[in-house]
Amino acid sequence: MDQRKEEVTRRPLYVYDLPADILSTLSPKEDAEPEQESTLPPPDAPTTEERAESVAGSNACSLCGMKFHTVEDQRGHVRSDLHGYNLKQRIRGAKPVSENDFEKLVEGLQDLNESLSGSDSSDSEDDEAGEPRKDTTLSALLKKQAAISSQENGEDELTPKKKKHGSGKAPLLWFTTPTLPGNTYLGIYRAIFTNTEQGNETSILDIIQKKQLTPKPQQKIPTDSNNGVPLPEAYSGPHIFLCMIGGGHFAAMVVSLTPKQTKSSASGPLSREATVLAHKTFHRYTTRRKQGGAQSANDSAKGAAHSAGSSLRRYNEQALTDEVRLLLQEWKGMIDTSELIFIRATGNTNRRTLFGPYDSQVLRQNDPRIRGFPFSTRRATQNELMRSFVELTRVKVISVDLEAIAAAQLAASESAAQSAAQKAAKHPTTTAPKRSEEEETALLHTSQIQALIRRSKLPALLSYLKSNSLSPNFLFQPHEQNHHAPTPLHLSASQNSAPLVTGLLVKGSADPTLLNGDGKTAFELAGDRATRDAFRVSRSELGESACDWESARIPVALSKSEADARAAAEKKEEAAKENERRKAETERLKEEGPKVVDGPIGKGQGRGRMIALAKTAQEKREEEARGLTPEQKMRLERERRARAAEERMKGRG
Amino acid sequence: MADLHTGDSNKKGLLVPTSTTDQELQHLRNSLPDGVRALLSPAPAGAKEDRLTKTMEKQRIEERLSALGNVIVSNDHVALVHPDLERETEEIIADVLGVEVFRQTIADNVLVGSYMALSNQGGIVHPKTSIQDQDELSSLLQVPLVAGSVNRGSSVVGAGMVVNDWLAVTGLDTTATELSVVESVFRLGEGQGAGAINTTHKDTMVESFY
Repeated sequence: MDQRKEEVTRRPLYVYDLPADILSTLSPKEDAEPEQESTLPPPDAPTTEERAESVAGSNACSLCGMKFHTVEDQRGHVRSDLHGYNLKQRIRGAKPVSENDFEKLVEGLQDLNESLSGSDSSDSEDDEAGEPRKDTTLSALLKKQAAISSQENGEDELTPKKKKHGSGKAPLLWFTTPTLPGNTYLGIYRAIFTNTEQGNETSILDIIQKKQLTPKPQQKIPTDSNNGVPLPEAYSGPHIFLCMIGGGHFAAMVVSLTPKQTKSSASGPLSREATVLAHKTFHRYTTRRKQGGAQSANDSAKGAAHSAGSSLRRYNEQALTDEVRLLLQEWKGMIDTSELIFIRATGNTNRRTLFGPYDSQVLRQNDPRIRGFPFSTRRATQNELMRSFVELTRVKVISVDLEAIAAAQLAASESAAQSAAQKAAKHPTTTAPKRSEEEETALLHTSQIQALIRRSKLPALLSYLKSNSLSPNFLFQPHEQNHHAPTPLHLSASQNSAPLVTGLLVKGSADPTLLNGDGKTAFELAGDRATRDAFRVSRSELGESACDWESARIPVALSKSEADARAAAEKKEEAAKENERRKAETERLKEEGPKVVDGPIGKGQGRGRMIALAKTAQEKREEEARGLTPEQKMRLERERRARAAEERMKGRG
Repeated sequence: MADLHTGDSNKKGLLVPTSTTDQELQHLRNSLPDGVRALLSPAPAGAKEDRLTKTMEKQRIEERLSALGNVIVSNDHVALVHPDLERETEEIIADVLGVEVFRQTIADNVLVGSYMALSNQGGIVHPKTSIQDQDELSSLLQVPLVAGSVNRGSSVVGAGMVVNDWLAVTGLDTTATELSVVESVFRLGEGQGAGAINTTHKDTMVESFY
């Protein structure tokens, strides 16, 4: 049975193609919503002849068939219970009662309920004694009758009755079937039945069985070559018309109810697809952006606006209306033959677009096939129409586990109480009470070991492990907090503690192949070469056979001496480098030293020298040439150039 | 203020809706003669002495039928109300308007306020009211009644017009025939006809003869 349910829930059920076993065993859900029977007796107003009999002039009450001598008598009667009761009877469409019958009714009421008199006499003591009682008599009588009629309803539930039409009807009809577990219900939308079918709900199962259609292999829809409208033979089978209009969006679709087998169905499980005979959407800019509402609505409310946008929208509204009406005209054949017409058109403008009245209109508002979508729909698009069709024709499968619901409610209330208690105790640790003793000790060990590793206390760590007889591969608790370094070796490696690594591997014989939460070995967590060397040295010391070094991802072994030699060599090199650097530095100081030393002294000697130092070659030359005749200046210049040339020659040679 | 559909009035009192603001109520009080009581409807039955002194208090009662103008029709002496109106509301109406209250229907319609227009002079009822019912109602109300329409055949005569003992205001679409029915049954414009010029109004219209 569970397997069957799984099957049902896996593949959506199509109303018009239900599996045979479900179909044959389907039965309406019992004790569904309480039946709302109309309490009204069949309308049976007094005929004109009866009235004619009771005609009694102006000082009379034709309703109660009484005649009075004075206006006071008449007024007294009109205020009496009898008249009030008959008035209600007439409003309900029942026959008025005579005075004697009414007396009997009241007597019966008093027999039934002796506490009636004075039950409501608390208010207005200054009224006449009879008045409050009169009021209660009538209301009590009416109440009693209402109670009786509801009782009758209860008794008559065995005999099938027509359900009240109108509001208060659930959109879904619920069914059960013994092929599914008892708490599973199948729901079918009421709207997919015609009005007459909805009327006789007793034979609804027969109707569903009659509606079953066998899937047909995929076939080409014969269409008119001119406008692509399917030819009449295409829509010989049952089909429905769906259409949505609103906010300048229009979408319409004619869908055949006969399911179509797709190609994939040949091999795999049977899959069905809806056969869309025709579909069309129009989208036009008609609504006023940010302001909202249709242009025509605004025009009629505030007068025609003269903006560019308004004229655009006005034009588009008209164009949309024309397009929609033209389309409906083209589809007239299909719409006229469709079983049901689903329409979503809210607002005057939209309804007028579809229902006119206009010449040769296709849809009529009083068409009994028309119905709305019994669920909320979104913007009118083809996708939305398809979704709506699927929603309409799919059988809803729900499973109501009453025990589970009750249990959940109980649990919820319990947890609420518990949380309240915890809040009161100010201990919001929900996990604390669940911990076992083992977990507590593990947590203690974890904190101890981690502290020792962080302080690089190798002997203490080893003795702690030994004294507590813990494995060197002890897993830290809780796991989720020690995701990166779950073992002591991992933690040592990630702390770059080479001696700890060596000690754990060699003396503690920890397993280097263990992986952390990221799938990394301890070696891969090592952050510097010293730590990595510690692993390699351990490999050489423990020997190749100690463990699977490859899976520990530790490179080739490095003996202790080699490592030491390398370390010594590195130290030596480092020392040599340092020496060299020192030498270079002292030399540089020797060369540049005076200047560096001069700097502050020069400062002390005054500004004149600083200025002389700062003199350029041009200034020097000008100084030398000062006070000379032009002839001497020229000679001096010539000599200087000659010297410069000599220098250049020398430099080249 | 909200239209007369939400309340009802006669020479003794006025029922106004609870949505009436203090300012509107003040205007009403200023424009009403002394001794006319305005009561926010729906209003309670208690505190009778209070209401005699402080007539403009705001009180509230749970009444299912809140559009009282549609369920009450009254003149200075009688009122017809919806058959399902609460008993307390009926008492308030009797108290505030000083009328006898009857639960009635007009041509099987429970909305008596919509289907009947009534003054102290006469009344118009739904056009489909039977002669017999008209007779009984007119006997009950002690005014002449006629079945008629307003607004070019509309049967909601109570909603389509307001009338007092001197004046009726009807909808724009009301035809001359309908108006003449209204005038005759409510006795409006009596003594203002052509015949009155030379008789009752002779003194006021003709100052002197040469």
